[in-house]
Amino acid sequence: MSLAAAIARRAGRRTLSSIPALFGVIVFTFLLMRVLPGDPAVFFASGPNAGEAEIQMVREQMGLDKPIPQQLLLYLKDIATGNLGRSMNTGQPVVTDLINRLPASLELTFTALLLALSLAVPLGILAALRPNSLVDHGVRFLCTMGVCVPTFVSGLLMIYAFYYLLGIAPDPTGRLDVFASQPPVVTGFLLIDAAIAGEWESWAAAASQLVLPASTMALFVLAPLARMTRASMLAVMTSDFVRTGEALGLSRRRVVLVYALRNALLPVITIMGIVFSTMLGANVLVEKVFSWPGVASYALDGLLTSDYAPVQGFVLLMAFIFVLVNLLIDVLYGLADPRISIE
Amino acid sequence: MKLDRRNLLAGGAALATVPHFGREAFAQTRAETLRYVTGAAVNTLDPTMPGSTREAFGISVNVYDRLVSFGRKQRNGNWVFDIDNIRGELAEKVDISPDGMTFTFHLRKNAKFHDGTPVTAEDVKWSLDRAVSARSLAATQIVTGSWTSPDQFRIIDQYTVQAKVDKPDRLALPNLCTLYAVVFNSALVKKNATAQDPWGQNWTKDNAAGSGAYIVEAFKPGEQVILRRNDAWVGAVDGKPAPFRRIIAQTIPEAATRASLIEKGDADLAIDLQPSDIDTLVQRGRVKAISTPQFNAFTMIAFNMKIAPFDNKKVRQAIAAALPYDAIFKAALFERGAKLYGGTWTDKPTDASFPQPMPYKQDVEKAKKLMAEAGLANGFDTFFAFNLGAAAFAEPIAALVKEALADINIRVEIQKLPDAQISTMVTERKLPFFVETSIAWLPSTDYFFRNFLFGPQRWNYSGWNDERINELAGKARFETDKAKYDAHCRDMIALMAEETPIVMLWQPNQDAVMMRNIDGYTYGYHRQVDFRDMKRA
Repeated sequence: MSLAAAIARRAGRRTLSSIPALFGVIVFTFLLMRVLPGDPAVFFASGPNAGEAEIQMVREQMGLDKPIPQQLLLYLKDIATGNLGRSMNTGQPVVTDLINRLPASLELTFTALLLALSLAVPLGILAALRPNSLVDHGVRFLCTMGVCVPTFVSGLLMIYAFYYLLGIAPDPTGRLDVFASQPPVVTGFLLIDAAIAGEWESWAAAASQLVLPASTMALFVLAPLARMTRASMLAVMTSDFVRTGEALGLSRRRVVLVYALRNALLPVITIMGIVFSTMLGANVLVEKVFSWPGVASYALDGLLTSDYAPVQGFVLLMAFIFVLVNLLIDVLYGLADPRISIE
Repeated sequence: MKLDRRNLLAGGAALATVPHFGREAFAQTRAETLRYVTGAAVNTLDPTMPGSTREAFGISVNVYDRLVSFGRKQRNGNWVFDIDNIRGELAEKVDISPDGMTFTFHLRKNAKFHDGTPVTAEDVKWSLDRAVSARSLAATQIVTGSWTSPDQFRIIDQYTVQAKVDKPDRLALPNLCTLYAVVFNSALVKKNATAQDPWGQNWTKDNAAGSGAYIVEAFKPGEQVILRRNDAWVGAVDGKPAPFRRIIAQTIPEAATRASLIEKGDADLAIDLQPSDIDTLVQRGRVKAISTPQFNAFTMIAFNMKIAPFDNKKVRQAIAAALPYDAIFKAALFERGAKLYGGTWTDKPTDASFPQPMPYKQDVEKAKKLMAEAGLANGFDTFFAFNLGAAAFAEPIAALVKEALADINIRVEIQKLPDAQISTMVTERKLPFFVETSIAWLPSTDYFFRNFLFGPQRWNYSGWNDERINELAGKARFETDKAKYDAHCRDMIALMAEETPIVMLWQPNQDAVMMRNIDGYTYGYHRQVDFRDMKRA
C-alpha cells in the first residue's frame, strides 16, 4: 500500500472517531457554563432600575427562560445550522466574532511557533552535542528564564524597553497601526492579505506589530521545545545507527543533521502540536497586554461576565482545532517515520 | 518624451516632493485626530440596548443628538456637567408652562441627519415613543422623570413637539437630556425594522441613524470605533462643528500600555488609568491630568439588612465606628477623590446635597460598646466580598476592613467574585457586606434616595426599605418649593446617618490624563468623554 493512501485512511478514521468527542465537548461546555455561579441576565440588566422585569427581558433575549434540556436542544439545532448565538459583550454573532478574531490568533501563534522552533531546535541540538558544557548550561538558563517569567511580565518588559525607552517598536496596540491603511480582507491574515494586495507598507506595519508579541510567546514555549529536542537528540546520538554511521566515516554534519535529527524529531513534533494548541487558547495574557484582538481574550471576557455563547463557541472552536492539529501531527508522523503507517 | 536635462531635473524634483507631501498630510491628520484609549469596549451603537457598555454610551453621545442637553460649570477649577443648566441641542428653544408640566420644544430648522434629511417633529415623536415603549434600557431610566407613555408626546407642527407630565416632576426635563432620549432618523430606522422588531433595534445595534456631531466611519466591536466629523452639525453652543476632524476610540485592555501610549504622545487621552500611576505620570511632565471627583457617584460598604446580624442597627453602627477611614482612603485610592466620611454635623446636615460627608469616624471604644449593646460582645464570623474587576482598590479596602473588625471580634473572610457572580449574589441578597460604587446620572438628592436607598431593585444594595424614606422621597420629587425640598432631603440624610444601611467612603476621582496640548475636557454625567468639547491647543 502506498504511503499517501495509508495516511489518508488513518486521517479519515481519526476524523470519524473525533465526532463523539466533539459532541461530548459541546454538551459538557454547555452544562458547565450553566452550573457556574452567576446569572448573566442579572449582570447585563444594568439599567437604572434593574428590576425583575428587566432581568426577565434580558433572560428571554438570551434564551435563558426555557428549561435547560430545551435550551440544549435548541443550541444543538443552532450549531447544526452554523449559528453559535450572539455575544452580549460585543453585541455581534459569535460566528462573526470568531471569524474575525481567529486569524489574528492564528497569525500570532504561527509566527511565535516558527520563531520558537527556529531557535529551539538549533539550541537543543547544540546542547545535546556538548552535554554539560557551557553551551548546554546557557541553553538551560535561557529556557528556565523563559518559562519562569510569566508572559505578561516579559510582554510588559519588552514594551517598556523597545517601545517606551528605545522607541524602536511600534505602539503595542493590536495588529495594525491605527493610521496605516487596512488591506482588503481575503484570508484575514494581515501578512498574506497585504502581500496579495501588494501593499508592502501595510505588510511592514503588520509585521512590525507582530514582532514583540510573537517574541513574548516564543520565549515562553522555548523551553519544552528545546528541552525535548535536547533529550531526544541525546538518546539518538548514543544509538547504534549513529555509531555505525560514524564508524563508516560519514561526515559529522551528515550524521547529526540527517540520521540523528530525523529520528530525534518525532517527540518534538508531538510536543509541537500540544504547544501550538496551548498557545492558541492559553495566551490570553499576551493578547491582553498587546491589545491583540484574538479569540482567547474574547473568551476570557465572556467568561468573566458569564456570557455563555462566546465561551461555548470558543471551546467548540478549540476542540475542533485540536482535532485538526492532532490529525496534522499524525500525517507529519507518517512522513517523519514511515514505520508508523504500517498497520 | 524627449529625455533631456530639464525634464530629468523636473522629474527628480517631483519625485523628491512626493514623500514630503505624504508626511505633511500625515502630520496634519494626526493633529486633527483625537486618539482616545480605554480599557473597556464599545459593544453597540444603540445606547438603549440591554447590556450596552459605558464606552458605547460615550460614542452615542457624539453620534446622536437629544432635544436638550446639560450645560457645564466650573467646580474647583474643573469643568463638570451642570444638571441645573439645561440648554437646547436639537431644540433651539424650550417653553415650560408655569405649572412645570408642559414642555414645548421648538426644533432647529437647519438640523439634519447624517444622510441629509431634516430633523422633524415626527422623528422626535417616534424616538420618544420608542424610548418609552420599546424593550430597552431607555424605558426604565426615563420613567424616573415620569415619562411612561407615547400619549405624552404630541406633534404641534413640523418643527414643534409638546411633551406633558401629569405632575411637576423635577427630573422630567433632565431625563430628556440623558443619552437614552436620543433622536433617531425615524424614516431610516423604520426602513430597517421588521414585524418582530418594530423599533428596528437589531439594525441600530450596528448602524447609526443620528444627527450628531460625529459620523461613524468604522465600528469594530470590542476593538475600535472611528468617528468622522459631521461638518453640518448645528447642535453646539456656538453652532460650529466639533474641533477634531477624526476620533479614534481604541480598546487597549492593559492600563500600563495606555499610560505609555499617552506619555509617548501616540495617544491623546485616557480616563481609566491606574490611580497609583497618575502622580508619577504627571511628575514626569509629559502629560497633564484633570482630576475631578465623581460628584454623582459614591463608593460604599453596603450591609445586607435582610440577614442577621446586619439587620441589627447597632452592628451596622459598630462597624461604621470601627473602620479606619483615613488609612483605607490612603491605601486604596491614594487619596485621589473626595471624602464622604468625617462629616462635622451631628443631628441634621446643614445642606441638602447628596452625597456629602457623613458624620462617621473611627472610634473603637464606641464600636465595642455598640457590639455589647447588640449582645454580640464576642463577635461573629462573616465574609466580605468584592468584584474581581475592582480588585485594584477593593483589595486594600478588604484587607483593612478585616484587620479593623478583628479588634471588635468580628472575624472576616475575604471573597473575590467575578462580575456575573457578584451581580447575582447581590441581587439575591446573599452577601453579608461588600464594597460597591453607585453612580446616578441625575444627581439630585431625592433621585439618589429613590434609586439607591429604597425599593426592591438591585441598586438598593443594603435592601433598606424604610417607609419614612419612601414618603419623604415621594414628596420631595414633586416639590417645587426649594426650601421645602431641602428640608425633606436633610431629613432623609439624617435618617440614613442614623440607620447606617451603607457606609459611604468617598467619591473617586475621574482622572483624565491627556497630552499637554489637549483642552476642553468636561466631566460628564455618563463618565465618558464628550469629544465635542475637546480641542488641540
